[in-house]
Amino acid sequence: MASAIPTFTKIGKVIRLNKHGCTNRPFYHIVVQKVKRKCYISHMKISITLKKKYYTRDNFDGPVIEQVGSYDAMPNSQHEKLVAVNFERVQYWLAQGAGMSNPVAQLLGLSGFLPNHPQTLIQSWKNRREPPRERKLQPIKGIAPPLDNPKI
Amino acid sequence: MFARSSSRIFNVINISCIQSRSARAWVRKPLGSPMAKSKMFRIAPKKFIPADEKAEVKRLYDNYFHQMKSLRHYFFEQSLEQAESGEVAQMKHRLEEEEHIRLMEENRLENEKTAKLREEKLKIQAEKTRENILASLINKEEETRLYEIQIEAFLEKQKATPFIQAENIEKAIEEALANPVDFNFAIDLDGYVYRGRETAIEKIPEEERERLRSN
Repeated sequence: MASAIPTFTKIGKVIRLNKHGCTNRPFYHIVVQKVKRKCYISHMKISITLKKKYYTRDNFDGPVIEQVGSYDAMPNSQHEKLVAVNFERVQYWLAQGAGMSNPVAQLLGLSGFLPNHPQTLIQSWKNRREPPRERKLQPIKGIAPPLDNPKI
Repeated sequence: MFARSSSRIFNVINISCIQSRSARAWVRKPLGSPMAKSKMFRIAPKKFIPADEKAEVKRLYDNYFHQMKSLRHYFFEQSLEQAESGEVAQMKHRLEEEEHIRLMEENRLENEKTAKLREEKLKIQAEKTRENILASLINKEEETRLYEIQIEAFLEKQKATPFIQAENIEKAIEEALANPVDFNFAIDLDGYVYRGRETAIEKIPEEERERLRSN
């Protein structure tokens, strides 16, 4: 469908969540990253000498250009999930033609900077229809749950 | 058991041949191997989404992408405007102005220098050309003088030769008619002349032979 507004060409940069933190405690950095290529192998257990000097957790893509915020997936003592976003820089990168991953788009929609992502609405009516499935591990609220596996 | 098929690993430059005790990475099932028993008659469950929900989802996404597209363009235009009027742009503009003035000044000084040099060179050249011209004029004069002298000499020579003027013409005709010139003669290698068409060499005695002198 031809439109009056021309389409943006991809500049090879994307605003996405980079996972940091540790086991059972995810913490995301909202970063602007260069997209190199699609990698089909995500978990390698052989020792490999890559082009880079060390195996980083940069999702096999280019290095991080700029950190533009953070997202703490674990709710704090006030039951809040804290998100920090530098809207000016996000606007700059969007103006340059950077892409966005779904979670980042959702967060920005919830914040009010962008329109609400359809995924949030879809998820909310699904949640209303049936409650989300039971997860084995409860989210850590500062103190780990007691071990009830007698085998350990 | 089956032989381990080779797995192509993408974008890896070196695989070190150090022994590693960890498990081998599973890339994919070998191409020739049969389907597992547990998976033979499996039908993957397909999610059923009612039509109205699908329509709603499509509507939401269409709206969202439309809005995002317009937003991106808006941001782009804002960035362009800012680029021209923002602080950074103003500073850049100021710096560029200063640079421009500085360079123009430099250029002016350079031009003055070269102008001076050029003038000196031109002066010297002008002198040279003046001298050249003078020399050539003098040469020309000399040549014309010599030429005139030559012409004079030539004319003298020509005048000396006996010309037939308009007054002498009748006299000259009568003279010519009175003295016909006979060209019927032969010349010997030694220079003896034998006149007449029917003269034979043996018939003339030696004493009476003419000789054309090589004057």
